[in-house]
Formats: sequence, C-alpha cells, structure tokens
Amino acid sequence: MADERDPKLSQHYRSLEALEPSRELDQQILAAAHRATDRAHAPLVAPAGRHRWYYSLAAAAVLVFAVALTMHIERQQPDPEAAASASSAQNEQARVDEAKAAAAEKRGQLESKPAARAEPFAPDPKPQAPASDAAAPAPAPQAPMADETRVQREANNSQQGAAAAAKPAPSAAPARAARSLQVDEMRARSDADSAQQAAQAERARSEVSAMQRYAAPESAEKRAMAQAAPEKPERWLERIAELRSRGKHAEADKALAEFRRAYPDYRLSEVMRERVEGK
Amino acid sequence: MEAPDEQLMLAYRDGDTAAFETLYTRHRARLYRFVLRSVKSRAVGEELFQEIWIRVIEARARYTPQARFTTWLYTIAHNHLVDHWRKRGLTLVSLEDDDTPGSSPDPADHAQARESLARFAAALAALPPLQREAFLLHEEGGLNVAEIAAATRTNEEAAKSRLRYATAKLKAAISDG
Repeated sequence: MADERDPKLSQHYRSLEALEPSRELDQQILAAAHRATDRAHAPLVAPAGRHRWYYSLAAAAVLVFAVALTMHIERQQPDPEAAASASSAQNEQARVDEAKAAAAEKRGQLESKPAARAEPFAPDPKPQAPASDAAAPAPAPQAPMADETRVQREANNSQQGAAAAAKPAPSAAPARAARSLQVDEMRARSDADSAQQAAQAERARSEVSAMQRYAAPESAEKRAMAQAAPEKPERWLERIAELRSRGKHAEADKALAEFRRAYPDYRLSEVMRERVEGK
Repeated sequence: MEAPDEQLMLAYRDGDTAAFETLYTRHRARLYRFVLRSVKSRAVGEELFQEIWIRVIEARARYTPQARFTTWLYTIAHNHLVDHWRKRGLTLVSLEDDDTPGSSPDPADHAQARESLARFAAALAALPPLQREAFLLHEEGGLNVAEIAAATRTNEEAAKSRLRYATAKLKAAISDG
C-alpha cells in the first residue's frame, strides 16, 4: 500500500518549489571528488597536506634529544684537570707513607733486634708496591726498589754463608772470620741505607707539603668547594655564583651539578638562579 | 544505455572522476531537496548537502554494491541528519508515536494556506521529522518501504507506519481546501 505512490500527493509534491543546488556548490563538491582521487594516486614517499608536519616534528624531536644527551654527558664527565691533580697528590702521599713505613720498619728491625742483625734481610713485601709504580717520576720509590735488590743479593749471600757454615769444612776459622766480616759490612750498609731512606722520606714529605701548600689555585678552589659541600646551601650557592662571576663556567657548572645532587629539592630564587646559572 | 549507479560508484572508487560527475548529476537535485526539506533552513541544508557528498567521497573505498546505490546514498544522508539533530539537542525517539503531533505550522502559514499547494507545503513542514523523512525518501529517493527501513535503520513495520501516517496527514491537508 505504502509502496504505491499517491498520484495526487506526488503531483502536489512536484509542484513545490524546484530546489536545486547552486552551481558554486556543485563545483565545490566535484572539486572535492577530484582532489580525493588525486590524493589517492600521490606517491607514498611524499605525503602532502596535513601529514607534512610529521617530518618537521620528528626532526625537532631528534634535535632536542641530541642536545639533551650531549649536555647530560658533559655534566657527567669529571673535570680532567681536577682528576689529574687529585690523583697525583694521592700518589705522592702514598709514596711518602710507604717510604716512611719502610724506614721505620728498618729502623725498628735494626734497633730492637740486635740478635737478628745477623739475618736482617728477611723478605719484605712492602717495597713491591713502589716497584709497580716504576713510571712515577718521584725519587722516593727508587729507594725501596734499590733496597729490595740489595736485600735480595745479601740474602743470597747470607744463605750461601749459612750453607758454607753448615758444611763440614776443614777450615772453619777462616770461614767464621769471613762471615763476621760480611755481617759487619752488611750492618754498616744497612745503617747507611736507613739513614738515606729517612732523608729521602723527609725530602718527599717536605715536597708533598710544599705541593699542597703551593698547589694551583684551581685545585685549591676545588678542595674548597669539596670542603664546602656539607655547608649551608646558601653559602654553597654564593661560591658557585662567585665562580660564575669570575668566568669559570665549567667549574661553576660542575659545582652546580654537585649542589643539585646534594640538595635535589632546593628551590632557587630567580635572582640566585640567574647568578648561578649565568643565564 | 545509461550505466547503473552502482557501476558508476565502483568506477569512481577505482579513480574514475567522470563516473562520479555522472552520478552526482543524476542525484544532486533530489538529495538537495530531501535535505533542505528536512531541515527547513537553506543555509544549514546546503552545508549538510555538501557534507553528505563529502562523506560519499570519503567512503568510496568501502563501497560494495550490496544494495541499490540510492539506498546507500540516503542512508548516509539519514545518518548525517541524525548527527545534525543530535548536535542541536533534538531527538527523534518519541516520534514513533503516530498520534504525536509535530511542530505546528506557523500561524502565518495557515493564514496564507489558501491554496492547496500552500497547505501541502505547510503540512509537509509540520510533519514529525521521521514521518517527513519517510515521505521524502519515498518521494525524492524513490525508496520502497524495505529500503526506507534499511536507510533509516529501523524495521519495515515502523517504516511503513511512518509513511502511512505522513501520507494521511498530507492528504488531509490537501482535502481541507
């Protein structure tokens, strides 16, 4: 029933105003249809229109990531000058300590054990440490090293002497006399060695203290910064700002990084931020 | 012999813009009237008309001739009109009630509806939207009841009911004169 049109109704409907889209509207729709097919056949490698921004966004993201990574790496690396001065000072101190210890041990052996003077060259492991540091330019390690070779040689001599004494030699008196001569010679040499060692240790100690006293101002400042670490954050920031004002930006950056590690939640005022960041 | 709509649409799907031009020329006026008489505003109707065709263009890759092209076209138009009404806070749900009167014709229209055609136009404008849509789909789109039901996503009984009541009201408007 409903599928059959009512002719009267249809006639009335057809008699209504004959509405049609404007030519302009037609052209807009047909142009859109053409654009859609053109876009469908465009090469995939060169997307057009609204997809172009992907490329610039990706390039900007890569750039930002690279800059951030570089800055992060720079902040993580320690200052090579500070590391070098710290390591050389540590080496000098270690050498002085070892020389002192060796000298004291020798002295103790010679003075407190007169009976052991006959065999004063027991293996001493201490001098081996400076020997491993043969590349170091300081003169202090040379003494234990020379001492070690001497100790070894004389120990061999002593062993040879003992072996000779144990042998049933036909002439024991000349052997005993020779042995006492050797012992006297070794004792004299040992005394000279310990005096020389003490002098060298004293010299090394004075050199180290002089180095510490007259070290470069940069390392002094670094030590000062290291000592300032437990100080109040305001004072620490003042030091950083002072470094920045003196143009020592690398040190200021490093100190600022340390500060941020020590006080991660500290909020900088705008004025202080400008002073410590130098921006 | 003219190519059927479905074939033209398939040709356009494959990039033949001339096929689209033929198809558009064939359906532009009817769809235009269907839209304009559904919304009563020329400016809004023209905007919706253009958007419906843009949807057709964008949906070409998914087109398969499962039904008549006309049914597919007016389904898109119906969906777009529903979206439009939803955006404006209007609803079509309660209009299944056949006794629910639509918006009354403007009194001025009544005053001027001395002629039969004017009364018909006023009655058409006064129809509830779903009944008017069913009538326009039947009259402009040439859809039968089953196709109206498919295009408006309802069952055939509801489509038949809408069309029957719309026809009855329009007849009454004409016979009043």
